[in-house]
Amino acid sequence: MIRPLIDLDLDVEAGAFLALMGPSGSGKTTLLNLIAGIDQPTHGTLTIDGQNIGALSRSKLAAWRSGHIGYVFQLYNLVPVLTAYENIELPLLLHKLSRKERHRRVSASLEQVGLADRHDHYPRQLSGGQEQRVAIARAIVTQPKIIVADEPTGDLDKPSALAIMQLLQALNRDMKQTLIMVTHDPKTAEFADLTLHLDKGRLAEATVLA
Amino acid sequence: MISPTYIPLILRQIVRRPARTLLTVGGIATAMFLFIAVQSMQQGVALATQQSAGDNTLVVYREDRYCPFTSKLPEHYLPRISAIAGVKSAVPIKVIVNNCRASLDVVTFRGVPSDSLGDQLSASVVVLEGSIEDWRKRSDSAILGETLAKRRGLRTGDRFDAAGVVSYVAGIVRSDQPQDQNVAYVHLDFLQQTVDRKLGIVTQFNVKVDDASQLESVAAAIDAEFRFAEQPTSTRPEKAFVAQAAADMIDLIGFAKYLGIGCLAAVLALVGNAILLSVQDRIREHAILQTLGYGGMLIGRLIVAEGLFIAFIGGAAGTFAALAVIEWGQYSFSIDGLSIPIQASASLIATGLLIATGLGIAAGLVPAWQASRRTIADCFRAV
Repeated sequence: MIRPLIDLDLDVEAGAFLALMGPSGSGKTTLLNLIAGIDQPTHGTLTIDGQNIGALSRSKLAAWRSGHIGYVFQLYNLVPVLTAYENIELPLLLHKLSRKERHRRVSASLEQVGLADRHDHYPRQLSGGQEQRVAIARAIVTQPKIIVADEPTGDLDKPSALAIMQLLQALNRDMKQTLIMVTHDPKTAEFADLTLHLDKGRLAEATVLA
Repeated sequence: MISPTYIPLILRQIVRRPARTLLTVGGIATAMFLFIAVQSMQQGVALATQQSAGDNTLVVYREDRYCPFTSKLPEHYLPRISAIAGVKSAVPIKVIVNNCRASLDVVTFRGVPSDSLGDQLSASVVVLEGSIEDWRKRSDSAILGETLAKRRGLRTGDRFDAAGVVSYVAGIVRSDQPQDQNVAYVHLDFLQQTVDRKLGIVTQFNVKVDDASQLESVAAAIDAEFRFAEQPTSTRPEKAFVAQAAADMIDLIGFAKYLGIGCLAAVLALVGNAILLSVQDRIREHAILQTLGYGGMLIGRLIVAEGLFIAFIGGAAGTFAALAVIEWGQYSFSIDGLSIPIQASASLIATGLLIATGLGIAAGLVPAWQASRRTIADCFRAV
């Protein structure tokens, strides 16, 4: 039996910007997926905002994700047949909101990521950096408590990666949302307030940004 | 089943994958077209052959004869038939067809005495053009059933030629009786002289009885009356007569029901295959939706709804295309001067749409179940 995370004891302050680093197979994506409610722990407890999400059923966990988590993937993962606007609107369909309110929130998110003029573009019509911005807008549109990002700059060139990290940092600072990011890149990790290093499923060390 | 909020999302999935949608919808439409066409034939058979409570017409034919060219009865039987207890009216009729074989375009002439056309036409007949009075005024005039007039593009005042009979269209009528829809009523003496060059011989007598419950007893009395005559008779209710005369064709049409069942199976397989392939193509997309908070059951319902919409669009396209062809063509099978119309009723259209929708739901169930059970990690691993 493989135990990707062993004896991990971690508290994250609300509003923090946390980077998870470590070699491949160290368990950082597993930890991220546990926090995002995508996987569930086989042992121990995982409490987020006072709720033990390890005990939730599959359907309740899905509902919890829609209210608490915004997920940014490395490969953007936009739905190809939907426009930028429609992709961002997707998570809002799960909430009882009027069409007008959905429109207001999607427009605001597009403004925040600087893509208001690309709302009707399909993913294939956007650059990688723009696609990631749409993915970030989709993650923040429901105003979740936690944003998790799995290698958000891993597929981008340097200028685009810098722009995305500046955007994430600004969102964390302005909206006070907890941001937990997995990265291999120390330069990217420098944007975080705290970097945790994982090795073979254990917490190896922590670096606090001065 | 699913909140209206998600309907635009489902429609976008359908519209923005045009190749898949068009191929699937095209296949379903073709299958439903065939299904409706086959069912319309079945419905026509039912209409032409199933006795209803109000049917009170008997057909007196020459015994052991089964087609209008060989059934020859003396016209002077009329007073003896009319005198039988229970007979309300009797009309001698000469039947001529332009084509002895089974065909979709047979013109049937029915020669009736000038003063008996009203008796012969069913009570529900509506005169669409011209008038019965105009018909009485001219010896070569004809009253056409609406189906025949539409199929041949004939209007009042036109002349038309079929089976060597040239007649003038004095009126067009609409009737709910299949045998009135595809026929040209002409004067009996005109038809006898044109075809036989002599008077006195008819093909059959159409007899109306006082009460539908007397059909069997009156039929038996008529056949008994002529049992020892030179031309003995065989008398049956009109729809039983049609069923017997067109038995071979009805058997063929009955066999066609298996084609209809095959069409439905094709719809089920097409939608099922399309949805299954679509779900396999979109495993990553379903993982994204789950990550955003869409539950497995909701994703399953979205898949079923997509199948339902595709099947409904295809079903509607096929059903209405079949309806258009049937209405435009005004087809009817004719054999020995008897007509079996191909008719699509409102209930058949509704049935077609309901079946397509039901099959769409059924076809989506298995892929939906599979997708709803898959975890996010399984989805991402599968791509």
